[in-house]
Amino acid sequence: MTRSGSSGSRTGDRIVEPRAARGESPACACCGEPAVVYQPVTRLHLCGTHLVRDVEERVLATIQETGQIYPGDRIAVGLSGGKDSTALLVILSRLLPTWPGASLVAITVDEGIAGYRADTMRAAESLTERLGVEHRIVSFRELIGNDLDTLLTGRETQACTICGILRKKALADAARAAGATAIATGHNLDDEAQSVLMNAFRGDLPRLVRTTGTGTSTAFLPRIKPLMAIPEKEIASYLFVQDLFSVLPECPYTKYALRAEIRTLLSDYECHHPGTMQHLIESKRTIERYCAGTPVMEPLHRCRECGDPCSGDLCQVCRFRRSLGK
Amino acid sequence: MKVILPDQSVRLMEDGPGTVGALLHEIGANPLEVIVSRNGKLVPEQAAIGGDDEIRIVRIAHGG
Repeated sequence: MTRSGSSGSRTGDRIVEPRAARGESPACACCGEPAVVYQPVTRLHLCGTHLVRDVEERVLATIQETGQIYPGDRIAVGLSGGKDSTALLVILSRLLPTWPGASLVAITVDEGIAGYRADTMRAAESLTERLGVEHRIVSFRELIGNDLDTLLTGRETQACTICGILRKKALADAARAAGATAIATGHNLDDEAQSVLMNAFRGDLPRLVRTTGTGTSTAFLPRIKPLMAIPEKEIASYLFVQDLFSVLPECPYTKYALRAEIRTLLSDYECHHPGTMQHLIESKRTIERYCAGTPVMEPLHRCRECGDPCSGDLCQVCRFRRSLGK
Repeated sequence: MKVILPDQSVRLMEDGPGTVGALLHEIGANPLEVIVSRNGKLVPEQAAIGGDDEIRIVRIAHGG
């Protein structure tokens, strides 16, 4: 089953005209079985079998079109245990034979968030065991000497910024230690569109066009996002129809995140104007092309304390360390 | 019809709204932020609901 743009046309499987289906559900556009999901952009209904196939085909197409994985690669998968990283690990483990000699290692970062992390950690351990994927766990306590809850005392409103900086560093260090050639994260279409809008709202053009994906810089391990074309709802549905979806607790710091506001705004807009998120991504790519090689792309420096790549004298982790008096 | 909301509270409805989409509209949920099962099976917004159906609405958007 393949897709052709957003017109909804498909080849490979015969498209069946919608009809009343058993159990009063719309029928799958490919086989006529009861549909489990509706794709507003293509205006197609799909059953569980065809949804799984469609998602995995689109992920493979994204990886191949953007050169994210090659034979012999060792991919470090950031595995929080939530739905996106769970789907990512499941899909990559199924697609792995596409790249001879390639291997996976899952890395879970334990931030130290009481009442939240324990469930997702257990989910991550259970998944890697089931898939037979090597699993490494690293923690903020090892990285910076304390758990996130303690680090955030008196600065809770900065939770997502601080957590993001530390998590990125912990994941990169663990990936290097595991001999990885790239880091894969579970960012989906919604996440990517939200980031574009957040950076536009902040007027942060350098961040908008910055990419650590498949560029030529040797300073970073390439960070790849195989799920970046898949809407969040389809990822949850992909897991649900395979009995892989778990209801997990929500991070207690979400309420402080600007992203939460952007998410609501954007999903309301996408609901009324399907395709909006994809259009935002396309706009970002156009801006990236115009900005290539211009002063907007900030030159990379090395942190004078830890040597990590950064845009100023000190990397964000060392700056945070200093703010703690360490 | 029994409706289990994202916060796990239960609402019993005698005259259902007819479709999953209409139910989500009625409770003010964005269809892109939830998945819905009818008697344990995932269903799209256009699916018909009513009678003795058990409808579960699960919120999917998490994280910061």
